Formats: sequence, structure tokens, C-alpha cells
Amino acid sequence: MTLNKILVAFDGSENSFKAVEYVGNIVKHCPICGVSILHVERLPDKDLFKNDEEWAIQCKNNENEMSIKMAEAKDILVKLGVTADVVVAEYFASCKSPFHDTDICATGRSIGLDILRIRKEGNYDTLVVGRRGVSKAEEFLFGSVSTKVVQSAADCTVWVVS
Amino acid sequence: MSSEARDLIKKYLPDSTMSRFGKVFTDTTQFMNIDYSDVIKLGNEHFLVLKNEQERRFGLSDPKYWVKRGKHLESGQPQILKLAFYEKFPMHIGPFEIQCYRSPRKEARILELVKGDTRFMQGCSRDDVAGNNVRVLDIIRGKRLDVVVHNIPVDHKTYFHEHFPAILEKYIDSCEAIRFLHDHDEKHGDIRRDHLWVESGTGDYRWIDFDYAFELYENPFGLDLFGLGSILIYLAGKANLTMQTMLELGTGSSILNSLNGGDYSIVIGNRIVNVQKVYSYIPNSLNNVLMHFASSTSVFYATVDELLIDMNKCLKEIKGL
Repeated sequence: MTLNKILVAFDGSENSFKAVEYVGNIVKHCPICGVSILHVERLPDKDLFKNDEEWAIQCKNNENEMSIKMAEAKDILVKLGVTADVVVAEYFASCKSPFHDTDICATGRSIGLDILRIRKEGNYDTLVVGRRGVSKAEEFLFGSVSTKVVQSAADCTVWVVS
Repeated sequence: MSSEARDLIKKYLPDSTMSRFGKVFTDTTQFMNIDYSDVIKLGNEHFLVLKNEQERRFGLSDPKYWVKRGKHLESGQPQILKLAFYEKFPMHIGPFEIQCYRSPRKEARILELVKGDTRFMQGCSRDDVAGNNVRVLDIIRGKRLDVVVHNIPVDHKTYFHEHFPAILEKYIDSCEAIRFLHDHDEKHGDIRRDHLWVESGTGDYRWIDFDYAFELYENPFGLDLFGLGSILIYLAGKANLTMQTMLELGTGSSILNSLNGGDYSIVIGNRIVNVQKVYSYIPNSLNNVLMHFASSTSVFYATVDELLIDMNKCLKEIKGL
């Protein structure tokens, strides 16, 4: 079996670590072109802060924390036997980030749709997402990244890990 | 007492019978200390404070010390001043607890966005000398929409056929106002029955209070949509329909027995959404909209646009009934 490129959506949660482990256990014996651990930056809402300075500090703290978790996720894959050369951790910054100035960025409207856009642009054939297992009411009020991905994905395989 | 406050009041309100004169505040940080007869100075403008606004809930009144009822001395216009208060508190929606933040700058931004749009309360914001954002709001003379609807002195059938079509038409306009906010990446944040007012005289429906902010990511407009649906359900039923209110209304046991779990709200478990089961003349087109907010639904509205399309279809049908 040959898997080409796998994109693992990662938000630092327990479920996203589970998704990473699941991928590691599946692909460790397969020839593979690449595994990308993708974090789509979710900036805290500016309106929750008194001023932009406090908000920027929180953004930086969140990014530092996420970078540590992404490094942990990468280590997990390598320890499970995936060749280090093919594992990449990609921090996809928000278009509104105070620290990243890039045209290719997360819109912040929907993490799910951002993940799908990156999947398409990077020609990944498999997309992996963790699943929290929210109730229907929670999905109604707060939305669900995995549901959005499953409902909107086209031309790729989606693994939903719970 | 300050002679400065007294001089200002004497100058701008020469006929005033006030016998007490407070202080002039240019810094509103300690808003608890600002009370009746004090004057808040913002730039070159002065606002006489008359009282703290009250929040009335469950029969109790709580003073909102950060919201002052006042008078703009230069123009004589009554106004409301909302002072910066960075409150964080849990908000309960059905079984869920959401952290809610009061955001002066969110409300200030929306006030600027909707300037001149009478579907919303009007006002502007200024910073005091300490940089606190103060929102200066025009007072809306009128009543809450739900109170207006509740007080229409007719039975439901008469209400539905004679009053509801016009109410729905205006409410659609209110939903379009929320779509306008969403199109500009803004959320109302606290859409509930007591935040939509009917202005006396014009009869216009106007949204108030935009200062709530939440951490909502994958579905940023979900709470607003839920709020819009909840108000529509209230308007269709002319009441908040629960088993208890049904019993108070003397609803027949055959109707009560026909209700099942799927007929209630997806979020607020005791609220009846399937209004057609209670009032059989509710047309399918309207009931179908309501049922998008029921626990039995498998399809949610993702945007206000989707909701509006269906509401407009049902308005057409209702007007042709």
C-alpha cells in the first residue's frame, strides 16, 4: 500500500493527539511522501481584551504553547516509526495575526473550511481530523470542525478519529 | 459638591430645581462613585447624571452602576451613558455555560457601523481622559417587542391572522439587520426578546445592546441565529410555550399528549417549538422554519441568509392565507 500525502489537522487537544497517534500507527510501515501536522491558528477574539497589547500577548502565548504541542506531535510520529524526513509541522497563521505577515493565511471564518482549502492547495490525498463527539445542540450552537470537514470535503479521503 | 458642576447646571439648565450638585468627572474609571447630580465631561461636552440604570429580572431590580441615565447639557437631550466595565461572567443557554465578556470597543465599533440605521439603537463613543470608552446612546422610547405582542388583547387565532403577518414582515427586517452585521463580520452577541424594541410613534423595531462578546469559532454566528429563531418561535406562539404555559392556557389534553421530545427546542429543553401542534392553523412553511430549532431537526440554518429565504417564503404564504 502506498499513501502519498497525509494532512493531519491538529489543535493541541487530546483528540488531535489521538489522531496523530492513529496516523503514526497506520503509516509507520508504509512508503509515504509526507505527513503534515497542520495547525490553523485560531486567534482569541480581540473583543475579549481591553486593548490590542493585551490581545497580542495572549496571541503570542497561544502560539508558543501550540509550537510546543506541535513538536510533541511530530516526536510521536517519529517515535512510532515514521521517517523524520517526511514529517512536517505547519503552523498556518491567521490573516489577522499580529506577528505573521503573509498572503496565505487562515480567514478565521471557519477552521474546517481553512483545513479543506489547505488540503486542496497542498494536494494532500488524505485528511485526518480528531473528533470531540459533541451533541447535536452543541453542534447547532458552536459548530464542529470535523462535521464541517466531513460535510464539505471533496476529492479526498477523510479519516475521522475519535 | 463642586462649583463647576453647579455652574454648568445653572448655565445649561437655568430652570432646573436641582438643589444638589455633584462633581465633574473627566475620568470614569471609578464609575461606582459617579451618581445623581454629577457631571461627566467628555471632550468639550457635558452629561448630567440622573441615575443608574436598573436591570429587572425575575421581579428584582439590580442597579447597573456602569450605565447612567443622563442629560446632554449642551443640547438638553436625555441620553444613556455606558461606561467601560470589563466584566466576564458565565452565561447559561439551556444546559450550556458560555463565558461572556462585556466589550465596550465591540459596541462602539457597531454603533459606528450602524450609524443612521434605525434598525439599531443609535449613539457614538468617546474616550474619557483615562482612555475609557464611553458610549453615549440615544434613548429609545417604546416597549420590548415581546411585551407588545403579549399585550395584544386578542386570542391566538385572531392574533395570528390579523396581527402576525405585519409583525413577521417587520421581524424579517430585523433579521436582515442582523445579516448586515454578519456581513461585516460583527455579531450582535445577545439576541433575546428584551433586546428588540418597538419604538413609539414610528413602530420601528430596533435592536439594542451589542456589547456581549464570546469565544465562538467554528460557528461564530450560531448564537445570533439561535436568538433569532427563539424570538420567531415566541412571535408565532404569542407566548413562551412550555408545558406549564400550555396548562395555564387551558390547552386540551389531546394536544398535550401529542407532544413528544422532538417538538421541543434543541437547546432549551422545555420550550415548545412545534407550534403547529398547538395551533393547527400555523402553515407548514412557518412551522418548517420553527422546526429547524427543534431537537428533532437534522438540518441547521448555517446563516441568517438561509433563515431569511425561508421566512420570506412563509410571509408570502401567510399574506395569501
